[in-house]
Amino acid sequence: MASKEKEFAQLIKDNQGLIIKVSRLYTNSLEDEEDLFQEIVLQLWRSYESFKGNSKISTWMYRVALNTAITLFRKKSKSLQTNELDINHADFIEDDDEKQQQVSLLYTVIKTLPNVERAIVMMYLDDLPYKDIAENLGITEVNARVKMNRLKKTLKEKMEKYA
Amino acid sequence: MPEFDLDSFKKTWQEQPVQDKYDHAEILRMLNRKSRNYVKYIFWISVAEFLFFSVLGIFYFYRGEEPNSFLKILERLGVQKTADVETNFDHAYLGIKILSLLITAFFVLKFYKNYRKIKIEENLKGLITRIIKFKKTVNAFIFISIALLVVFTSIFTAFIFYALNSQNIQPNHSDLTIVMVGIVVSTILCVSLIWLYYRLVYGIIIRKLDKNLKQLKDIDSQEI
Repeated sequence: MASKEKEFAQLIKDNQGLIIKVSRLYTNSLEDEEDLFQEIVLQLWRSYESFKGNSKISTWMYRVALNTAITLFRKKSKSLQTNELDINHADFIEDDDEKQQQVSLLYTVIKTLPNVERAIVMMYLDDLPYKDIAENLGITEVNARVKMNRLKKTLKEKMEKYA
Repeated sequence: MPEFDLDSFKKTWQEQPVQDKYDHAEILRMLNRKSRNYVKYIFWISVAEFLFFSVLGIFYFYRGEEPNSFLKILERLGVQKTADVETNFDHAYLGIKILSLLITAFFVLKFYKNYRKIKIEENLKGLITRIIKFKKTVNAFIFISIALLVVFTSIFTAFIFYALNSQNIQPNHSDLTIVMVGIVVSTILCVSLIWLYYRLVYGIIIRKLDKNLKQLKDIDSQEI
């Protein structure tokens, strides 16, 4: 087996949390989530060759993962609508731990946001600097910051409403 | 629930148990699976269309059925099947076929070039803009396909009048009406079917991108 493939598989294994989070945020079923995970891995593999290390691995992975989820992936299910916010989401009721219940609720709430806003929130939660958030989306840093401040308020309201 | 603060929730978010769902072997297996992204679908659909129409065109060209059925219509209107009529028609038919294949080939090449330019590691706005550009080529292809159909039908109709005129024939009024109505109805039907087909194949696939691009542009134009 080519060592490059092994190296890549190890990279994905070490960073799969990021891909799982993106897959979960942009799908509404486990089947779609697994499909999206595979599609992201494939797209990462295709662009692995051209990744020259100019940016951090995590920034590159975020960019490819979000681009795949937002532009290339054909999901079978629709996005959640605010008025059909499903707080009985399977993940949510299965979690005993209070913190994880909150995480599940946050996933459900974020899923009510439009695609681009979901990406901003996710990168923010994972501590990506605004510079990288803006760069990944092709918007200005100032706008990413303004947008995130507005989103914080929106998420706070929704979380408190549906908790 | 106590007051929710996104910043103080970051740690919980980052520590959620999502690691190690897939092992090394599963990841390696994924590399050999086929991509299901829809830009690729659009590209292959366009290639399939090109091949289908090219093969169909060549098949009919060699069997010569299309010109024959058209010449039968002319005969029905009373036009004599002279060498002059046949040669003129054959030239027009060959020209139309070659032109339509050249146009399709040009678009397939353009599709391929635009497809190759789509790089997943580009920023989101750049990627969407590129895919939309790809979509515009598809739209131009659809528009030109429909326009070609209308132009070709008009040429054939004009040819009917040319043939009638050159042989000084006054066709039976009801026969001429039937032929003209047939041409108009079949053209409208073909245009509608082509339009519906492209709306279904490409329209559904690509609509959500416009929505995402609009959102990105909205964010960029927000008042600070």
